[in-house]
Amino acid sequence: MSFSKKRENSSNTSEKKYWKSWNIKWNFFSILSVLVALLENVFISSKENVNNGSYRIFLGCYLIYLVFIYLGGHYFSLKVRLFGGHFAQLNFILGILLCVQDLLTEKFSIFSLPYFVSFAQVLDQINEDKSLLLQSTGASLLLWSLSFAFGTLIGIVLGILIGRYRQFNYWSLPFLKVIGIIPAAAWMPLTMVIFPTSYLAEISLIVLSVWFPVAFMTKGGVENISPTYFEAAHTLGFNEIRIIRKVVIPGALPNIFVGIFTATGLSFTMLVISEMVGARVGLGWYINWAKGTGNYTQVYAAITIMAILFSCIFIVINKLQGTALRWRPTVN
Amino acid sequence: METHSELGGMNLAFLDVKNITRELLNNNNKKLKIIDNINFSVEKGEFLSIIGPSGCGKTTLLRLISGLDRPEEGQVTVAGERIVKPDVSRGYVFQNGGLYPWETIEKNISLGLEAVQGRNFDRNLVKHFIEIMGLQNFENAYPSQVSGGMAQRTALARSLILQPQLLLLDEPMGALDAFTRADVQNIVFKLWRDTKTTMILVTHDIDEAIYLSQKILVMTPHPGRVKEVVKNDLPFPRKRDSTNFLKQRRKLQEILSFE
Ligand SMILES: Nc1ncnc2c1ncn2[C@@H]1O[C@H](COP(=O)(O)OP(=O)(O)OP(=O)(O)O)[C@@H](O)[C@H]1O
Ligand SMILES: [Mg+2]
Repeated sequence: MSFSKKRENSSNTSEKKYWKSWNIKWNFFSILSVLVALLENVFISSKENVNNGSYRIFLGCYLIYLVFIYLGGHYFSLKVRLFGGHFAQLNFILGILLCVQDLLTEKFSIFSLPYFVSFAQVLDQINEDKSLLLQSTGASLLLWSLSFAFGTLIGIVLGILIGRYRQFNYWSLPFLKVIGIIPAAAWMPLTMVIFPTSYLAEISLIVLSVWFPVAFMTKGGVENISPTYFEAAHTLGFNEIRIIRKVVIPGALPNIFVGIFTATGLSFTMLVISEMVGARVGLGWYINWAKGTGNYTQVYAAITIMAILFSCIFIVINKLQGTALRWRPTVN
Repeated sequence: METHSELGGMNLAFLDVKNITRELLNNNNKKLKIIDNINFSVEKGEFLSIIGPSGCGKTTLLRLISGLDRPEEGQVTVAGERIVKPDVSRGYVFQNGGLYPWETIEKNISLGLEAVQGRNFDRNLVKHFIEIMGLQNFENAYPSQVSGGMAQRTALARSLILQPQLLLLDEPMGALDAFTRADVQNIVFKLWRDTKTTMILVTHDIDEAIYLSQKILVMTPHPGRVKEVVKNDLPFPRKRDSTNFLKQRRKLQEILSFE
C-alpha cells in the first residue's frame, strides 16, 4: 500500500509512550524480585492463619508472564521489547512491594488484622467469594452501563441543543446550570422516595452525576467549532440535520470526550454510594454488607475488584476515544 | 426571462455587483467601511481575478458575492437573481481550505454530493474527481495526513463536484510552495477550460492572476475600492516568460504601486 503514514505515526507514538529503553539487567531484576516475593511467602512462616494458595498461583503466573516478556523481548518481538523494557523497573518495584506487604502483615503482624490484611488473604477471600463477587460485579457493571449510557445521551443532546440554538440556550441554560451544580448525592433521600423501585432510584442518581459534565463540555465544544465549517456546509447544500450529523457532532466530539472522562469518575462514586444505600446486589452493596459483619478482608476484596473493573472501563473509553478521534493530527 | 422587480428591464451581466458597501463595527463601536461602493460585472464562463494588498477587503467582497454575508448597501445578482444567502450553485473555496478534518479526503469530496443527491449519490463522479485531482490512494487519509497541495485540490473537488454556476476561490494557492502552487494553478486552469465554470479568484500573486484570468480587478485598501479592471486577453495557454506576459505584469505593478 502506498499510504503508510498512519503506520509510521503509530510506531512513533508507541516509541514515545514506552520511552524507557530495553535493558536486560532490569528484566532480570524484575524476575528476581517476584521470585523473592514467592520464596519469602513459601519459606517464612506466618503469624496469621492464612491460606496462601491463591497468592502463590498469582505470583507464579506473574513470574511466568515476566519470563515470557523477557524471552519475547530478547529473542522475538520488537513490540514486546518496547513494552517489556519500559515496564521492567516498575515490575521490579512491584515485586519488592509485594514482598514487603507480605512481611508487614501476615508474616510479622506489624500491621495486623482485622483492619490490615495481606494481599494473599485478599486473594483468598476473592477465591472464596467468587460466585458472589462475580454476581455483584455483573450487577454493578449492568447498572453502571445503563445509567452511564443514558446520562451521556441526555448530556450530549442537551449540550448540542444549548450550544446550537439560541432560543433553547436562553430558556433552558439558567435552569440547567442551577440543577447541574447540585451534587448528585444530595438528591439521594428524594430519589429513594420518589422512584417506585430502588433500582430506578440508583439509575437516576448516576444519570444525575453524568449528564451535567457531558452537557456542558458538549455545549462548549459546539460553540468552539470554527464558523468556516458551518459556512462550508451552507455552500455544500447541507440541511440542518446534516449539519448536526456532519459538523456539530464530530466537531464537538473532542470536548464530548473530555466531558465523558469527567463524568466517568463521578459516575463510579455515585455507583458505589447508591449501591451502598439502596441495593440488594452490586459491589457497593457487598462492601456495605461486609462492613456490617465486620469482615474487612471482604472490603479489600471488593476494592480490588473495583480497581480492576473501573480500570477496564477507563481503558475501553480510552480506546473508543482513540477510534472516534483518529482524524486528529497526532500530538507530539 | 423574468428579472427581479428592482432591476426593471435592465440588461444584466451574468454576475452583477452593484454599488456594494460593507460596514462593520470596530473596537470603539464606530462604523467602519470595509469596502466602499464596488461595481463590476462578470460574464458567463469568464475568469476574473481580484488582486490587492492584504487587508483590502478581497475576502469580504467574495463573501458578499457568495451570500455568506449581506452588504449594507447595494446588491449582488447572479443570472438576474439577487443573492441573499449561500447556495450550492455558488461554490466557495475557503482561504484555509475549510475541509472537515474529521472526514476522509473521499468523504470531504462526496459529502456535498450526498447532501444534494441523497444516499444514492453518483459514486462514479466522486471517483472521477479523485482521479482528475490526483488523489488516488489517499481516499481514506484525513486532511491532517495529506500535503497542503492535496488538501487544496480536495477543497477544489469538493466544490466543483456540485457543478456550480459560479466558483469563488479565496487564495486557494496562498499557503503553498512555488512548485505545488504551479501544479494547483494548472489544475484550476484545466478545470476552468473544460467545465466552462465562471470563476472568481482572489489572490495577491500578480503572476497567478495574469496566468489564469481574462480580467483582473485591482483593489485599493482603506476602504476597499476598485482601482481598475484590467483586460487580460493573452492567448491560452500562457507562458510566464513571454514578452506580453512580462509587459502585462509591469502594467499591473504600476497600477498597484500608484496609491
Ligand atoms: N469580522 C470583522 N470585524 C472587524 N474587522 C474585520 C472583520 N473582518 C474583516 N475585517 C477587516 O476588514 C478588512 C478587510 O478584510 P479581508 O479579510 O476582506 O481582507 P483580505 O483582502 O481578504 O486580506 P488577506 O489578503 O489578508 O486575506 C481588514 O482590514 C480586516 O481587518
Ligand atoms: Mg482574505
